[in-house]
Amino acid sequence: MIDEALEHLVKGIVDHPEDVNIREKTHRRGTTLEVRVNPEDIGKVIGRNGRTAKALRTVVSALAGRQVRVDLVETDEGR
Amino acid sequence: MSTKEVSEVVTDKSETTLVAKLEEEGDIAADYLEGLLDITDLDGDIDIDVENDRAALAIVGGKLSHLVGSEGEVLDALQELTRLAVQTSTGDRSRLMLDIDGYRAGRKDELKQIAHDSADEVNSSKTSLKLAPMNAFERKVIHDTIQTLGLTSESEGEDPERCVVIFPAK
Repeated sequence: MIDEALEHLVKGIVDHPEDVNIREKTHRRGTTLEVRVNPEDIGKVIGRNGRTAKALRTVVSALAGRQVRVDLVETDEGR
Repeated sequence: MSTKEVSEVVTDKSETTLVAKLEEEGDIAADYLEGLLDITDLDGDIDIDVENDRAALAIVGGKLSHLVGSEGEVLDALQELTRLAVQTSTGDRSRLMLDIDGYRAGRKDELKQIAHDSADEVNSSKTSLKLAPMNAFERKVIHDTIQTLGLTSESEGEDPERCVVIFPAK
């Protein structure tokens, strides 16, 4: 559920929603959601001074009811 | 005379265009938020309105306090993302306001009261009054209220210390 919610939030704010991909990784300390976006969109999801990234983390953690790590990465196309 | 009439017509037209644009903003924002509520299985109705030249959205559900967070932190984050979703779709920056379960409305009443009390104080002391630091939303409510009371106000300082100063009537 939380990965779908994050996917929806990110897809709505990028120019290439079809390239958005979320991977959930569970480890001893908790959950990390790895968000892959088109390289052209990485600036948008991070935002000025990391403002958008922070907003995404705040909303996702509130929805999950616990601290969720959100990592934002570029898709490495053409490799 | 004729110049005035022309300018009124122009104002009317741009006013209509602005409202239509803000209504479109509201619709895009509502879609974004509705999608989120669906995925997370949260109950909430979304009201769309236009207030003070901004699109205003309110989610009313009754069990959404975790989406407001302490001091509205989560609400501000969700508002920021919703503005970006609108901007992505329209290409223009959005200044829409989001409220959840009346959080801002409640805070707004409180701020209006602060503005009224401060205006009274300024009126009797005839000297300017500096209020406590506030965020942009809070300062806007104060400025709007002060204006309706016939006084003037300005913001000064840098965030997060930025605050409103109210000036006595001349």
